[in-house]
Amino acid sequence: MKTNTVLAVALSVLVTVAAPLAVAHGGASGVVKERMDLMDSMKDAMKSLKAIFKGDVAYDPEAVRQAALVIRDSAGEKMTSLFPQGSLHKPSEAKSEIWQEWDRFDLLAKRLQVISQGLHDAADNQSAVGQGHMGEGSMMGTDSMMGSSSMMGGQMMGNSAAGSESMMGGMSEMMDSPEHYAQMPADRVFKMLTDNCSSCHTRYRLEDK
Amino acid sequence: MKRLLIGSTLLGVLLISGWSTFQLSANVGTIKLESQAGDVARGAYLARVSGCIACHTRIEEGGRPLAGGPPLTTPFGTFHAPNLTTDKAQGIGSWSLDDFARALRQGVSPQGQPYYPAFPYSFYSKLSDQDIADLWAAFQTVPAVTEAGAEHQLGFPYNVREGLTLWQGLFFKPQSAIALRSDDERYNRGAYLVESASHCGACHTPRNLLGGLDDDRALQGAENLLDGSSVPAISAGALQDAGWTSSDLAYALKTGLKPDGDVFGGAMGEVVRDGTAFMTPQDRDAIAYFLLNRE
Repeated sequence: MKTNTVLAVALSVLVTVAAPLAVAHGGASGVVKERMDLMDSMKDAMKSLKAIFKGDVAYDPEAVRQAALVIRDSAGEKMTSLFPQGSLHKPSEAKSEIWQEWDRFDLLAKRLQVISQGLHDAADNQSAVGQGHMGEGSMMGTDSMMGSSSMMGGQMMGNSAAGSESMMGGMSEMMDSPEHYAQMPADRVFKMLTDNCSSCHTRYRLEDK
Repeated sequence: MKRLLIGSTLLGVLLISGWSTFQLSANVGTIKLESQAGDVARGAYLARVSGCIACHTRIEEGGRPLAGGPPLTTPFGTFHAPNLTTDKAQGIGSWSLDDFARALRQGVSPQGQPYYPAFPYSFYSKLSDQDIADLWAAFQTVPAVTEAGAEHQLGFPYNVREGLTLWQGLFFKPQSAIALRSDDERYNRGAYLVESASHCGACHTPRNLLGGLDDDRALQGAENLLDGSSVPAISAGALQDAGWTSSDLAYALKTGLKPDGDVFGGAMGEVVRDGTAFMTPQDRDAIAYFLLNRE
């Protein structure tokens, strides 16, 4: 009886302590849980930035800076250190291509850090936000890409600022310059930040419902 | 794997049993558009929103426009979208407008060979004559690239192209009607984009073991794709249950950002990057409006 009581208490302690850990991210543990938590913190920051740049809330440079810092401090080596070789156990959404293309993955993580620093520094450059945030009518609009009758020729891909922007080719040239981003309209930097997230998710994340 | 084996077996049985009962020549009908004048700018826009550029260009590798696409991995093997430039040997430079229309509308090459449904002609069959003429006019402006596209890598029985005629007979429903509303232009524009040009159902509608679209479950999502990923339902009910608003949907199609701050990945990341991000705001709004109000 005494043994049963001890076991019952031990079990209840175990359940009490372990349950919240197990529930988080569907049972993630160790480094997988750490990086999923890290991604969640960036997701929360992106949500607040989205509300600002979509125009759902009033523009707030300080809120932009705070969110940008959350991303900056989660990116680069902080992020890649949480992807040790082969850490694919469930519920990880990472794809094995990460380790097959480590340099590319590492570059995207570092670029995320540089762009988010740039967004922090560009937060006061609000002027373009009200004129079509996320580049509407400029880089992403229809005029530059689709309106031209020569669109199907060399021009089509050449100024593909909306897309991959010769994704890897142009990346190395741009990533060493947070000062460059700081000179840009904040909404444009936010778009580049979003594109960087998408590039990584598109290639290295297993999509689930 | 089990699903693949069952599919292979079924296709093999169909091939053998159908050989004598189906005429194994492609479904070539008469299409005459030669006199239709095309608008290059409109066609270029359509090429973007219809995914021609996304699928037929190695964008991430800095490939030449429409010179051939990256590998498309499916449960049936790996497909490579071919060179569609004006090169006469490797591209479509020797085609006529009617050849082009037949490919899009009927899924048949100028030589009469049926195309694999990785090429979404089931959706393009609903394009109008003017759409096709515009696309054709735009394609004529693409510089020739003398580079052969990579061959498809398909195992048996999927590499038996004759089986595709049978497949088309069973599963291809050309020019099925799009349900329109007589007094709602935004809805109709969204319907046209979702159900034809932008072929959302190619990924978001489940397929049977042989790759035929399950129209009874249109836009209800697909599971267990080859890499273990799945595609969410985008039926009106599913989107509403997930809390999507029209404004959020349109914004996500423009930026890739979801309401919770996550950013699209996988094929949808590419769809936004190479397609919907280039749409007019009105078209993105129309898609969102249609999806959330679809009957």
